[in-house]
Amino acid sequence: MTSTTRPPDTDGRPTGPAPAVRRRTRSQARTALAFLAPALLALLVLRLLPAGLAVVDSLRHHSLVDGVTRFVGLDNYGDLFGDPQFWQSVRVTLLFSVIVNPLQVLCALGLAVLFNRRFKGARFWRSLVFAPIAVPPAVSAVIFGILYRPEGPLNALLGVFGLPSQPFLTSPTQALYALIVLMSWVGVGYWTTFLIAGLQDIPQETYDAAAMDGANAWQRFVHVTLPLLRRPLAFVLVADTVSNFLVFAPVQLLTGGGPEGSTNLLMYDVFRRAYSVGDIHYAQAEVVLLVALTLAVVAVQYRLMQGKGEE
Amino acid sequence: MTTPHRSTVRGRPTPARHMPAIAAVVIGVLFALPLLWVLAGSLRPGSQVLGSLDELSWRSLIPTDATLHNYATLFQGDFGRAVLNSVLVAAVTVALGLLVSASAAFGLSVFEFRGRGLVFAVILLSFMIPFDAIAIPLSSLFRDWNLQNTYAGLILPGIGNGLAIFLLRQFFLAVPRELVEAARIDGLSWWDVFTRIHLPLSRPALIGAGLTLFTFQWQAYMWPLLIGTEPAKQLGPIALGTLQGQMVVDYGQVFAAAVVLTVIPLVVLLRLQRHFTQSIASSGLK
Repeated sequence: MTSTTRPPDTDGRPTGPAPAVRRRTRSQARTALAFLAPALLALLVLRLLPAGLAVVDSLRHHSLVDGVTRFVGLDNYGDLFGDPQFWQSVRVTLLFSVIVNPLQVLCALGLAVLFNRRFKGARFWRSLVFAPIAVPPAVSAVIFGILYRPEGPLNALLGVFGLPSQPFLTSPTQALYALIVLMSWVGVGYWTTFLIAGLQDIPQETYDAAAMDGANAWQRFVHVTLPLLRRPLAFVLVADTVSNFLVFAPVQLLTGGGPEGSTNLLMYDVFRRAYSVGDIHYAQAEVVLLVALTLAVVAVQYRLMQGKGEE
Repeated sequence: MTTPHRSTVRGRPTPARHMPAIAAVVIGVLFALPLLWVLAGSLRPGSQVLGSLDELSWRSLIPTDATLHNYATLFQGDFGRAVLNSVLVAAVTVALGLLVSASAAFGLSVFEFRGRGLVFAVILLSFMIPFDAIAIPLSSLFRDWNLQNTYAGLILPGIGNGLAIFLLRQFFLAVPRELVEAARIDGLSWWDVFTRIHLPLSRPALIGAGLTLFTFQWQAYMWPLLIGTEPAKQLGPIALGTLQGQMVVDYGQVFAAAVVLTVIPLVVLLRLQRHFTQSIASSGLK
């Protein structure tokens, strides 16, 4: 985000009367706030207030014994950290992240390079890859839920090749990978759009110069494309990581976190604690951890990009 | 999308030169297959959707006895109202959200005032906290305020959108300062400057921001699940979830619902895509 700082009000009046300028700035501030008020109110009430509420709630506990809600400090966090199901959810989320993020970014990079080339019908075939972007998460979940069914088309296809049927979503070892494929069907195309835009910003002359120096296609990719694509790549990696921490619809619609907790991703675990288990204070503690986690990822990326920029 | 012409490799065409095109076709088809299959299934009598798989053939993708029966049944049930709800919620969100975001962007880009940095920080922070992560605490607030199962409850979270504000602000910064000064000297109020200069000049950015607001609502699943489960206030995705969660699932209807919920945003995206890429490119938001 480039925040351009304009020089302070230069009205060009020869006898620069400081009080008049100050009065002007103050009236400007009032006008500016009038324009900003609705958005600020919306963001404060609908984004920051709930985040603050989660922090406050996570420090309290509702006792079922006497029906009183009281301040308990970090007890909820302590209980959460002592809960094996929480750690199981963390493990599943990390495993999911470690696989799905590199997979999606690498596929998106490959597809961006492929579809950035000129050939007949490139735009048409590219739009087929982008089409799933329009599919809402609940819809893609339902579609893949049917694809993965025991009598569904994927197993029919396996049968054609003489392969045994697979349980997919009903198997504790396959369900998470089934979700990874489903998330990537939408995600890869989406992130490809950002990388194609980045590729198109690279001037053709840099490639021509590299070709003149005798660099082959692979060398051009490694020494020209990758360094110049660093910013969009970093953005995609972080935005993808954050969005994959928040995967919810397919878990809620298809697996309910199972089988055997194998798809119990953090976002669903929060939901489950808040509504099925009914302990809102634990859930809020988990919300706080989840928000902290996403902010940390964004902060790390910000630092990395700053550091790289200074080189 | 104009890329300067690429230096073509001279020499006889070899099979290797066609590799990218072949790969592109194969990958494109793979990505499109699930959608094609869903479209085909939606035109097939519900009982045959999975039955037709016993022997895979081209008939699995192209229904020979196409019928709109599934769509007719679908819209007789709760789903029709759910889609209308979704359209209503998205439309109001776009209209209100654009007004709120554009006016905030105007306030940020035109005026100099102390505390602008703070305002900027608030917007940035609220933009970095992902909505789904705070949806559960927000839903308990909304329940306290009796907003569950109301349109207001469904629409409000979409109104404040940091990304839309940034997109528009970036565009507004490019409006020549002299133009604003001249208009002020001619006696235009700040509101007039906003509605007669900045808004008309920023069509591409408004379309981009509008798409952002629309997509937020159309893709929402967790929020409507938390706040709008009463049949009269259900949105499309929730109704779809109900359809597929029934004991006996009518796949034909599920597919028809999936097609409806996908085609609406697809049409919106395709129609506005050109403006949107333009606005991203010219806003310098990279």
